Amino acid sequence: MPPGHEVKKTHQKCIKKFQKKKLVRNVKLEIAGYRIGFEAETEGLSLSVSKKFLTSISSGTYEDITIRVHRSEYYPEPDAAKVFHAPFVEEIDGIIVQNNPDFWSIWKNDSSLFIKIIFPLSKVEKKAVLRFSLAEKEWNLWIDTDETEVDPLEYPLDGLILYYLTVINNDIMIHASGVSHDGEGYLFTGISGKGKSTMANLWAASGAQVIHDDRLIIRKKGDGYRMFNTPVYDNDYPLSCPLSKIFVIEHGKENIVIPLKGAASVSQIMANCIQHAWDSRIIGNLMESVSGMCNIIPSYKLNFTPKRSVIDFILKKDEHPR
Amino acid sequence: MAGLKSILSHSKSVVTTKTGNEYVLVPIANNIADMNSMYTLNETGAFIWEHINGINSVENIISDMIKEYDVDYSTASNDVFSFINEMEAYLIISE
Repeated sequence: MPPGHEVKKTHQKCIKKFQKKKLVRNVKLEIAGYRIGFEAETEGLSLSVSKKFLTSISSGTYEDITIRVHRSEYYPEPDAAKVFHAPFVEEIDGIIVQNNPDFWSIWKNDSSLFIKIIFPLSKVEKKAVLRFSLAEKEWNLWIDTDETEVDPLEYPLDGLILYYLTVINNDIMIHASGVSHDGEGYLFTGISGKGKSTMANLWAASGAQVIHDDRLIIRKKGDGYRMFNTPVYDNDYPLSCPLSKIFVIEHGKENIVIPLKGAASVSQIMANCIQHAWDSRIIGNLMESVSGMCNIIPSYKLNFTPKRSVIDFILKKDEHPR
Repeated sequence: MAGLKSILSHSKSVVTTKTGNEYVLVPIANNIADMNSMYTLNETGAFIWEHINGINSVENIISDMIKEYDVDYSTASNDVFSFINEMEAYLIISE
């Protein structure tokens, strides 16, 4: 370059590649065989789902329910009365702490049910109202937020929507772990701390497929029943299997199994079902569903030691008189 | 307190389901089911529960039980009155 030659910098326009984010206006999911469609109603509102639901996205056209999602505040009608409410409770260092007395609540009038919700795990403060009827397929969800993208299944909406789908379909949602082994499905239910996760881990270590270790939906299918997982953890994906046996479990010094029959099996399994016990008809229908299931699926009381030996014990069919 | 001439019927404060020859009962208080206080009725309890229909007196139920189970009056009477005492909260007793 000869001295004195000024190199002129070429003026370049500052090019910024700007991509307009694509709005997601509808999402269809299939969870436990329920087909749920979400449609954004508010202009400019986009829908998203969390990682745990990505493998549940469906392309089918039929929907069991369609939930219209609005971004605005909403108040239940003045004649709606509160019938149930749940506080937000966390366990910190083994101590149950009530963090918020008004986590979600159920209101009803003659035509509709309303669930008022806050989102305790959200980074921004927001609230929502889900309005629906057990007799109708179109529900409405109002989320009061400044965000332009919302997750219509953000906790606790996911569990609440799935629960009411079980109510509508006379299905069962239960605190349980479930495993599939050689085409047989075993369900282990019991209150917190009785060994559901322990049992799931033992089966996983022995090569069985764990359907879920916390919450399952049981649905009648043909002459039998099928258990389905419901997404709880980020790495969950849809799983189901036929239900062969039910065990009401408790830790013990040795493995003992006692057949449960009749009212004893119904009551012990009912005690572990997820239920919003505010309507006697809902409770009555659940009792009928559990009773119907117990008439077909053998159930047992199982005291077990948390060792591999319980797997062999369960698989020995002759140990389980019907 | 029920007597032999009392007519009994079921209170609405309990939801029931029959499974086989037995019943499961869930108490309802303030329209909320108390899942921690479920009752199960065996075949004998189910028999008594089904005979509580707003028409039968306690005396009728005892009499039917004697015929059904071929037991003596004392046994049937004890069973029926024990049942009534246990389930009093879920029964409507009319004199």
